[in-house]
Amino acid sequence: MVQADGRREVADLYVGLVGAGVMARTHHQAWRQLGVRIGVYSIDGGGWRLAEEDTGGRTEELGSLDELLARADVVDVCTPTDTHADIVVAAADASRPILCEKPLSLDVAETQRMLDAAAAAGVPLYPGHVVRYFPEYEVLVRQVKDGRIGPPAVLRFTRTGSYPTRSAWFSEPERSGGVLTDQMVHDFDMARLLAGEVVKVHAKELTRVVPPAEPGAVAAATVVLTHAGGAVTHVRGVWGPPGTAFRTGYRVAGPDGVLEHDSAATQAFTLQTGPSDEGVMPDVGLVESPYLGEIREMAEAFCGGPAPRVDGADGLAAVAIAEAARRSSATGEVVEVTR
Amino acid sequence: MKVGVLSFAHTHAAGYVHELSTLPGIEVLATDPDGVSSDPAQPRGRALAEQLGVAYADTYEDVFAWGPDAVIVTAENSRHRPLVELAARHGVDVLCEKPLATSQADGEAMVAACREAGVRLGVAYPVRFHRAYAAVKAAAASGALGEILLVTGANNGRLPAGARAWFVDPELAGGGALMDHTVHIADLVDDLLDGQPAVEVYAQANNLLYEGTVSVETAGLVTVRYANGVIVTIDCSWSQPLSHPRWGGVEVQVIGTGAVAEMDAFGQLVGGWDQRDKTAFALPWGSDLDHDLLSSFLLGTSPTGMTVADGEAGLRSLRVALGAMESARSGQAVRLD
Repeated sequence: MVQADGRREVADLYVGLVGAGVMARTHHQAWRQLGVRIGVYSIDGGGWRLAEEDTGGRTEELGSLDELLARADVVDVCTPTDTHADIVVAAADASRPILCEKPLSLDVAETQRMLDAAAAAGVPLYPGHVVRYFPEYEVLVRQVKDGRIGPPAVLRFTRTGSYPTRSAWFSEPERSGGVLTDQMVHDFDMARLLAGEVVKVHAKELTRVVPPAEPGAVAAATVVLTHAGGAVTHVRGVWGPPGTAFRTGYRVAGPDGVLEHDSAATQAFTLQTGPSDEGVMPDVGLVESPYLGEIREMAEAFCGGPAPRVDGADGLAAVAIAEAARRSSATGEVVEVTR
Repeated sequence: MKVGVLSFAHTHAAGYVHELSTLPGIEVLATDPDGVSSDPAQPRGRALAEQLGVAYADTYEDVFAWGPDAVIVTAENSRHRPLVELAARHGVDVLCEKPLATSQADGEAMVAACREAGVRLGVAYPVRFHRAYAAVKAAAASGALGEILLVTGANNGRLPAGARAWFVDPELAGGGALMDHTVHIADLVDDLLDGQPAVEVYAQANNLLYEGTVSVETAGLVTVRYANGVIVTIDCSWSQPLSHPRWGGVEVQVIGTGAVAEMDAFGQLVGGWDQRDKTAFALPWGSDLDHDLLSSFLLGTSPTGMTVADGEAGLRSLRVALGAMESARSGQAVRLD
């Protein structure tokens, strides 16, 4: 159905969801709330689980990527990072608009190949930088954009959780990029959004893990970014020992003030129990799911609505920072980010 | 016991004078011969001594002629050396305000002078006396932290200008935020890692917070690699807004293979709202850091058993700050070994 303004109805979409892991399930829940039909293809044949969970019967398992691309109006890629590029390029070649989980890929060249394919097909490619949709970060972005603290001079971001042992590929640097990419790309994106392009990166990553990671694996990294305008950012990422609660924080200071947040200090509800589950995902139970906010905004864009707050170029810039951080950590050198 | 206070240049001098009055059996004589103030609301010299209720001498020599058992040097950073050397010549133990000096050469000369004279040289790092830091150490010692991988810390504060303008004078202070606020956390790490040498420092700094107001850096991030592989990043920025009700703080997170430990040295506060003044307030409680620092140096006791940083430790944390200054200038990581 097409609305009077030429837009399609989101609920009329058939979404091709690639992957059936934790992120796919998170996206699936959001898509279901939007009332769309969903076809799931997963290389491990696990798509049936999502179909079974959808008691409304609007999800089906598909047998191949080709079948998914033939049926879907739009494609949502929730697979391990190293598999993003080929799937996204195939979707672009099939002229399907794309939402791809972050990071778009592990390096600039491959990400550029994805953007080029989307541009050639004339379809959008949106990266799932979901932190932009978390309310405490939406407030931060809006306040900075409104000039509340003046131009940011020194920024600090922290993101801490338990080491993700649910899937082996997280612990394989050549598949996930490790904590320095998979986790910290969120804050690289946020730092760049607030303080401008990043020109210089210095990073140190420390890991105690033998893939495939068992509980007890630990990775921690510290990154200093220098922005084109001279602002400096510290990003700390931790995949900690078992029992490490998921926690994020920031402190952004400018000449006219400071904006601060610590998720441990702003819990509207807590329940004291025994040792917690693995803290690998943020608790979004006390707000509208930021994943729903993200996917709704992108779905509306797919249907002719306004462009979402994040685009492929942002995804590419975040990948460039992450790639520079990995290179800096590996070589011990300061890495200039070239555009 | 007789204790001399040499110079009121550092704002901590007034606090030390007060704390000394709470310690048993201590006589205090202060001098501030270089102190000049054009602001009657911010007196120096004899006027400030009278305000603090402490006996006053006109010259440094007068203080030493009085026969002190120890002196506290609270002069400008670049003026520590002659006063520490004076104490060494008189055979008097000396507690020196941080940072120890503004150059490696000065710091080494001070340590050598005190060693040769057989006097104790302490560096005034109060945060190591915090019970939260003792808890971090205990977590490390018990094995709960496992292998320490990464330490991050923030020592943010307000721009220390106002009545003590030398804090933002590149000569007298030796730099800006990098010099002032890198060393506190560097000292905690120095103690936690038991004197492990820093081998590489990378720093980035800017003055976007106070462009046109001061000439030194007011924001800085410092990453340090230690010989045993531990990495530390310190945010030393003067990024606490000038009108903020809290001066700033010292926060440290230690990421180990067994656990993540965190301390917030100035987070023990009772918050409230005053309806008559229509202002919020935050009342600190908990550790009395300056008291414990002085008690340890002068009386040999402190609640946590912590001891004062010695000259060698002061030199190691100074080295990190000087490396940070050099790295921020060059844009490259600086090797310290």
